[in-house]
Amino acid sequence: MARNSISRSKGYVDYTLIFIILLLLGFGLIMVYSTSSYSASMSSTLHNNPAFYLNKQAFATVFGLVAMAVVAMIPYQFWRRFAGMGYAVSAFLIILVLTPLGYEANGARRWLKIGISVQPAEIAKLAMILFLASLVCRLGNDIRTRNGFLLVLFSPAPICLMVWRITDNLSSAIIIFMIGYIMLFVASPEYKRFLIITVAAIAFAALVVLVVVHMADAGTFGYRGQRIRTWIDPEADASGGGFQTLQALYAIGSGGIFGKGIGQSTQKLGFLPEAQNDMIFSVICEELGLFGGICIIVLFLLLLWRLMIIASNARDEFGGLLVVGVMGHIAIQVILNVAVVTNVIPNTGISLPFISYGGSSVMFLLIELGLVFSVARSIDFAED
Amino acid sequence: MSYFSMNRSNRPFNKKMQEKLVVLFLLVLLAFVGLSIKLISITRDNGERYKKQVLSQQQYESTIIPFKRGDILDSKGNKLATSEKVYNLIIDSKMMLRKEESLNATMSALNECFPGFPEADVRSYVSQNPGSQYYVALKQLSYDEISDFVDIQNDKAANPDVAGVWFEEEYKRIYPNNTLACDVIGFTGKDNVGSYGLEQFYNDTLNGTNGREYGYLSEGEMLERTVVSPVDGYNIVTTIDGNIQQIVEKYLYEFNEQYKNGARPGGNGANNVGCIIMDVNNGDVLAMGSYPNFDLNNPRDTSALLGSRFVNESGVIEYEANCITEENKDELLSDDAITYQNLNYLWKNFCISNTYEPGSVAKPFTVAAGLESGKMTGNEYYTCNGQLRVADHDIKCHNYKIGGDGTLSVQEAIEQSCNVALMLMGRQIGKTTYLEYQEKFGFGYKTNIDLSGESRTATLVFNSSNMGETELATSTFGQGYNVTMIQMIAAFSSLVNGGFYYEPHVVKRITAQDGSTVRNISPRVLKQTVSAATSAKIIQYCNGVVLNGTGKTARPAGYAIGGKTGTAETVPRDKRNYVLSFMGYAPADNPQIAIYVVVDRPNVVFQDDAKFATRIVRSILTEVLPYMNIYMTEELSDKEREELENLDITIKSSNLSDEETEEEGESADNEEDESIVDANGGDITSSTSPTAEEMQSDDVLTAPLTGTVLNTQTGEPVVEDKEDGPQ
Repeated sequence: MARNSISRSKGYVDYTLIFIILLLLGFGLIMVYSTSSYSASMSSTLHNNPAFYLNKQAFATVFGLVAMAVVAMIPYQFWRRFAGMGYAVSAFLIILVLTPLGYEANGARRWLKIGISVQPAEIAKLAMILFLASLVCRLGNDIRTRNGFLLVLFSPAPICLMVWRITDNLSSAIIIFMIGYIMLFVASPEYKRFLIITVAAIAFAALVVLVVVHMADAGTFGYRGQRIRTWIDPEADASGGGFQTLQALYAIGSGGIFGKGIGQSTQKLGFLPEAQNDMIFSVICEELGLFGGICIIVLFLLLLWRLMIIASNARDEFGGLLVVGVMGHIAIQVILNVAVVTNVIPNTGISLPFISYGGSSVMFLLIELGLVFSVARSIDFAED
Repeated sequence: MSYFSMNRSNRPFNKKMQEKLVVLFLLVLLAFVGLSIKLISITRDNGERYKKQVLSQQQYESTIIPFKRGDILDSKGNKLATSEKVYNLIIDSKMMLRKEESLNATMSALNECFPGFPEADVRSYVSQNPGSQYYVALKQLSYDEISDFVDIQNDKAANPDVAGVWFEEEYKRIYPNNTLACDVIGFTGKDNVGSYGLEQFYNDTLNGTNGREYGYLSEGEMLERTVVSPVDGYNIVTTIDGNIQQIVEKYLYEFNEQYKNGARPGGNGANNVGCIIMDVNNGDVLAMGSYPNFDLNNPRDTSALLGSRFVNESGVIEYEANCITEENKDELLSDDAITYQNLNYLWKNFCISNTYEPGSVAKPFTVAAGLESGKMTGNEYYTCNGQLRVADHDIKCHNYKIGGDGTLSVQEAIEQSCNVALMLMGRQIGKTTYLEYQEKFGFGYKTNIDLSGESRTATLVFNSSNMGETELATSTFGQGYNVTMIQMIAAFSSLVNGGFYYEPHVVKRITAQDGSTVRNISPRVLKQTVSAATSAKIIQYCNGVVLNGTGKTARPAGYAIGGKTGTAETVPRDKRNYVLSFMGYAPADNPQIAIYVVVDRPNVVFQDDAKFATRIVRSILTEVLPYMNIYMTEELSDKEREELENLDITIKSSNLSDEETEEEGESADNEEDESIVDANGGDITSSTSPTAEEMQSDDVLTAPLTGTVLNTQTGEPVVEDKEDGPQ
């Protein structure tokens, strides 16, 4: 049906995907306003402007949509020649954070001020997707060898280490590494190796948790050790480390099935720190209930399903892997974010794609989707 | 397609990859399902508990928004009392300990911004009470004091670790003029409850209603947040003129400086000295002050008690004890209850709370009663031989030693303040009529002035059952019964304004915070005490007192005034302690204001001289009358001119200044007369003969008073037949 109606020369446009993205972005803006208007109106530094966060986020969204359209118009193969350069540039930008160009906010030095403020980690995610797609294509059948496998597995490691050590951002480092891992999983025909690695990783994590829990002094592992203890029993430290997690759980639990109604959250009124940021999903659950929360999860699932369709039908391996990278990026962030909010994993700062407040994040996600649309445009239904 | 051809290794996305992509998607689906189940389980297992938790967190969010207590303004709109917003620094241990770095970062910021910040105390409190969210570290800071820290707090980017400090707003009562009109204003504590004076009397008017920000549960357990704005209190605009008040207090203070540390070592210039100035035509109190005074901003400062008489634990002055001095202060005020009694006595408004025997200033009232009742015509003559036998006692006149005043007209009796003549008038009037007029003049009744603390005098005046022949006789010249200053001046104003008795009042208008008038308080005429004709007679007699009689020293330069002096013996009648007073009005021909000065036992060896009071009156009126734009009618001697120039007073005359220059020659003559007298070393005016000088020193009671005197404390009659029986 579609193959008859869509002419090859115009290229395929995935309207379902556009619809889902616009829905998520629009919903995200509403929730950013709902969660941030109270605290913004209470802050004299923001001139008590309740729409302060909304305005900034809307600006970044519009900017991102324009960038997405531009990128969608450029054939994705164009970017392939920049794959290696992208890797180097992202490493360079991370180091730049140490220079006076970098600046600190919320107690961590993660931002660069070059005209607009951006997080190099966000650039690194995009660059990593591009680099790995290109690398896998170049390796060809060598990916089946052990060396090829290990090369793809560990090539993100230097960037990950830099993101972790230099910008003190372990969660972004993990996301970058996992993007690579997912791309490798799709590219490699293997199953056994992945099973072994995954089981080994889970076993290692369980061991760390056991050690931390049974150690008298959690100080050895720094604040991360403390976070693990808090994760096991958040109510034991309700006013300290467990505060944010507990308040998020209170928000989810108090929402019930259909929620208190949009704008009616009480947890956002100063109780839940960063309500418009990493914890926005708990406010969604409080205001719109389980129903609203699961709707959002379903919406993300639809988005990922569209990405899977586009990747499967991509004109070539490079295009397909690009889409797989984007898909992996979004999937990991959604899963980890919801997992943090529901205290399935220890608290770490991961935003919910398209919905959480954060200009860099939404802009680079939309650029990544621009690549996806570019790949989609090249789908040749006639040859399928 | 052409751009694909650029790519050499252009492999398709193969079947294996598609398969693994589906596996990946299924894994993601699995994760999503898992997370959804977790979400559902949180809601199902802990939903109710968390819902309650959220509500309990909210309920304590109710905060009070304080109202602003209204200002007290003088008649020209100057602030006598106002409320200023101040801030308490609150420490929230819980917030401060949430991040490891916060404690030190916040402490260093606090130390930097607040000199003398009690860091050690706060640190130990925070470590001992990590769950506390409310600890007042610093109190009543001004906005300027906190602004540096607020800037740091607001700059979150530069100071991410400063946390756990907030400022609680409240209002602080400020009295910009410190001691000025302290008795009239009264003071207010932190709880917005006024003590004494206007602050107490108008407490409810000045206070508003606190606002509140709170959450409440609506139907369906929704939490609503509501802000109820505070309602600020009303301002009160008083009749007090700040400038006149200042002049009055300046001379009361000057009097104290002159006579303090005299016969009573370390004591004030007098036990008390008070002054009221009132507009005779509407009952407006223009000024009311007394000394010793106190600082309204620091009313509990015991250093204000220095020089005062010591008050015992029952609140009664111990006349036997020494005055409070730097040396004995700690010993005398060792007990908190006693200290409080002494402060209480200081805070009381002498002009409305203290009662005393008025003495000869009562004589115009006796004459007015006689004239108004028709028992006297005003054309009578009385003969004074120095004493009069009443019942079994001889009651002496002040001129007893020189054989009495001889034959006197009514006016001369008032001018010379002859007790015998007044006692004879009393016989003429009779007890019943006399008491009828006492009541008419308001003696024994509260004036209902709008100040808190006015004394009840109902038991301190005679009635038909306890007034005998002797009591009637002594009452005619103001001994035996007790009055307050405000009673006297309110009644006296009616004697000189044509007979209209106005209720004395201090507040003329109540306004809202935006300045709009809420209520005007208009003058109230309560009754007519005497006719216009009687009033005119009394003015004529009282003018004579200042012109020819005992009150000459009260006349200010350039003005003619009228009035009456008083020298009252106090209990015990030991001939050593007196209350001196002058009650007058100005200008003489058309009274506009009344003034009453009372000096309660000056700190000198020989107290029986009304000039202690008249000199204060003269000084005050010299400045007040020109300030009130009342024209000068009398010629000025060069000496007086110089005096006015030194005071920077513009000479205001209804006559043209040309006329004054023409009359300069005449003034020079006056000056000659004066210089002769000056050579005698007194400030007594020209025509006084040396022999008469003693008489001029006023109506001193020289006879032992034998009648009943009402005790100021109990209202019980005190029999004073025997000498030296201290009560």
